[in-house]
Amino acid sequence: MVLAVRRPKQAKGSLRMPIPTPFHPRTSALCTSYRWKQWAGYYAVCSYEMNHEREYFAFRHAAGLLDVSPLYKYDVGGRDAAAFLSRVMARDVRKLKVGQVGYCCWCNEEGHVLDDGTVTRLDDTRVRVTAAEPALAWLDRNRRGFDVALEDVSERIATLALQGPNSREILKQVCGADVERLKFFRATATKLDGLAAVVTRTGYTGDLGYEVWVARDDALALWDALVAAGKPYGLEPAGLDALDVTRVEAGFILNGVDYFGARDCVIPSQKSTPYEIGLGGTVHLDRDPFVGQEALKREVARGSEWAFVGLEIKWDEMERLYDSFGLPPHLPATAWRTAVPVYANGKQVGQATSGTWSPLLKRNLALASLRTPHAKLGTPLEIEHTIEYQRRTLPATVVEKPFFDPERKRA
Amino acid sequence: MKVDAVVIGAGHNGLTTAALLAKSGRKIVVVEKRDKVGGLCALEEFHPGFKVPGVHLDTSGVRRDVAESLDLARHGLAFVAEEPPVFAPASDGPGLLLHRDPAKADAEIRAHSARDAKRYVEFRAFIGRVRGFIARLLNEPPPDLNGTGAGELWDLARTAIALRRLGADDMLEIARIAPTCVADWLNGWFECELLKAALAGPSLHGTFMGPWSSGTTATSLLQECVASGGVRGGSAALVTALHAAARAAGVDVRLGSAVEHIDVAGGRVKGVTLASRETIECSIVASSCDPKRTLLDLVAATHLAPRFAMAMRNYRMRGTSAKVHLALRRPLEFRARPGQVFEIARTGETLDELERAFDPVKYRKFSSEPILEIRVPSISSPELAPAGQHVASILVNGAPAELEGGWTDARRDELGNAVVNALARYAPGVRESIVAREVLTPLDIEQRYGVTGGHIHHGEHALDQLVMRPAPQCARYATPIEGLYLCGSGSHPGGGVTCAPGALAAKTIIERPARP
Repeated sequence: MVLAVRRPKQAKGSLRMPIPTPFHPRTSALCTSYRWKQWAGYYAVCSYEMNHEREYFAFRHAAGLLDVSPLYKYDVGGRDAAAFLSRVMARDVRKLKVGQVGYCCWCNEEGHVLDDGTVTRLDDTRVRVTAAEPALAWLDRNRRGFDVALEDVSERIATLALQGPNSREILKQVCGADVERLKFFRATATKLDGLAAVVTRTGYTGDLGYEVWVARDDALALWDALVAAGKPYGLEPAGLDALDVTRVEAGFILNGVDYFGARDCVIPSQKSTPYEIGLGGTVHLDRDPFVGQEALKREVARGSEWAFVGLEIKWDEMERLYDSFGLPPHLPATAWRTAVPVYANGKQVGQATSGTWSPLLKRNLALASLRTPHAKLGTPLEIEHTIEYQRRTLPATVVEKPFFDPERKRA
Repeated sequence: MKVDAVVIGAGHNGLTTAALLAKSGRKIVVVEKRDKVGGLCALEEFHPGFKVPGVHLDTSGVRRDVAESLDLARHGLAFVAEEPPVFAPASDGPGLLLHRDPAKADAEIRAHSARDAKRYVEFRAFIGRVRGFIARLLNEPPPDLNGTGAGELWDLARTAIALRRLGADDMLEIARIAPTCVADWLNGWFECELLKAALAGPSLHGTFMGPWSSGTTATSLLQECVASGGVRGGSAALVTALHAAARAAGVDVRLGSAVEHIDVAGGRVKGVTLASRETIECSIVASSCDPKRTLLDLVAATHLAPRFAMAMRNYRMRGTSAKVHLALRRPLEFRARPGQVFEIARTGETLDELERAFDPVKYRKFSSEPILEIRVPSISSPELAPAGQHVASILVNGAPAELEGGWTDARRDELGNAVVNALARYAPGVRESIVAREVLTPLDIEQRYGVTGGHIHHGEHALDQLVMRPAPQCARYATPIEGLYLCGSGSHPGGGVTCAPGALAAKTIIERPARP
């Protein structure tokens, strides 16, 4: 059985207007900047103020509250739910215990990544999948032989991400002890100010943080409860611009930016395997068949052509370059996501796909796909940089990622 | 237990594959769910003393070279020189007794149209000219479009040469007509409706198509170009000979042995597990079951890649044929030709009548005026019925597998009545002559023989499901699962009683490169 709640399909470039999320009455009242973007067919705030800086520092020093309802969400029910998802996902979902969340990617049969997201074992027979792109048809197509029911709950469930060092204290005010004990990448069903909610200790900022999942009708009550509880702790509503800086600091990839789901690719070279985009750790290769297994085994045997790395662009060299033009160093105001070539000794060996100046770490950072021989830590490279309409390069080095990885994230 | 290969299904194709593999020195077990060999060709006693040779009666496509390579003559197989003529009755007038040989057909056709009698000579001459090319296409494994080796290219080149040898006119004509509908094609040749309907009939047997469906010219050509004299004693005699040849070659045919699943590990065949839980180890399984049954039912879902699984799910095999078996007290006599008996008769007086019988099938209903292909095998094989009595085996076009509301006993009877009515229109005495009647709906065929959708050809004979049959990933008998082969009518060159898929699959298996 497939239950598909009709969701306004908003293809990229669609002429149809985005629609509001369940939190829109609150977010729109606060969004004095009118800076919105379209996310999966919904209005999503870029930044509530003209500049995202305050929201960024809320994420890093207090807590930020982000509406992530546009995520695609699917509930897989039935006694084969975990076995079925183990067939679809590169990860063996059966190894997740009830109450555990796993980060996964799923591939086509050529081993090319279609999308990535989280898988949460809600109970023995129910698993929730999140995705950046619609996945119902893919799940349904692979369902043969498994006793499962699929439901698109994207519309039914409203979700807020509460992220930052104060997020646990804030949540405790409304949830009680359940949350205190909740470990990293774990989920719990709880009551939040009287509302039935699922709380997962997950997020996209690379910090201590939670995501709270409630029924659509409870959305505003959830927002109000968290905003009230968060007031003494410096909680700020935050938009996607601030999130983008934090996710680069955390070294997280983004579908459609750092890689492209195989279905969106026009030519083979645009496709990526999990190993090529740093998701090799989520692949459980040696087990019963899953979609893409054979291709991934072949890749492991022959070695991957590409690797996904962190780069640091050297500040001093950048200052020197700007100085040679008679300019002070200039940084873009937000995280960037326009891919630029990366060279080794003048020969292109890959591309940096997104990057940011980290206000917290005071480092100029980028995420990059590189040909494997050039991906070792410490490898000296050059990254293209345009200054005064002239293309130049800046020295960059392959560095450890995540760039930002505080202990409190897991503690 | 461990053998070289297990063949699933003891139909004519399964037995062919098994016998040929055994002759190549391999140890072969055939597992058959039923308690008799033959599959859709098995001899069935449907009423005490009255037998029919199964679902398929047309043996005109049985490949002589396969019979020779298995030395079937030594096991009692004989071919007749030519097929009996087909009687096409009409509501008014004498009807038409149609021979393939234009000389013999001349007077009969001339009675309807002198022009058509002349055209029929040209029509048969055209078939004669293109026959070699089409037979070549049907008697070789499908071209390997991915292959770049000298062998594959040479195969393609030889097919191209055979095509070129037809000459420009016939080559263009084949390209022109293959995708067309048989109604347009025959309207271009003839004016007599009865003749056109009689010629179009076989191209629609078992298919989800009417004479105005595109591609039916191709299915007509495929049948016309391989037809020759059939097997003496019909399809049941063929399976008897094949069974004897298989046993003589050392094949162990195990009846009453349903396969529970094909064991696969690491993308390779490991054996088969029977319903009795017994396991037979082997590295090769050749399945003569239809592709859907084999790959979607007998192989666990996780062993198929999504795109291939989808191709198999989308493989079309919605049965449209029912069978009606009549035990007859007296010979089947047509009003128009009293005192004569015909081994084959075919109803449908016009192309439109054939199309009208198909129309309701599209809407999951059966036709109240179905088109009948009537065979009276007891004329040449009197042992099928008590002395002086007969059996009629009727292939009924226009009965969908997925009937609206489902098949019930009442609906089955209703179909049987419609068939008897349709026959009584031309042979009014048949009603009083009926001793017993058996009606097999497509659902009955599915349940008795294990064919998905009750599709007697193991899948539509549509242009996209021919040659690259059942799907490009397994068009050359080997499936994406190492060691699992298809050897039934769901593979090239398709359904009907030919032994060709079974023989070509055996050839592929014998020639397979040794794996480390």
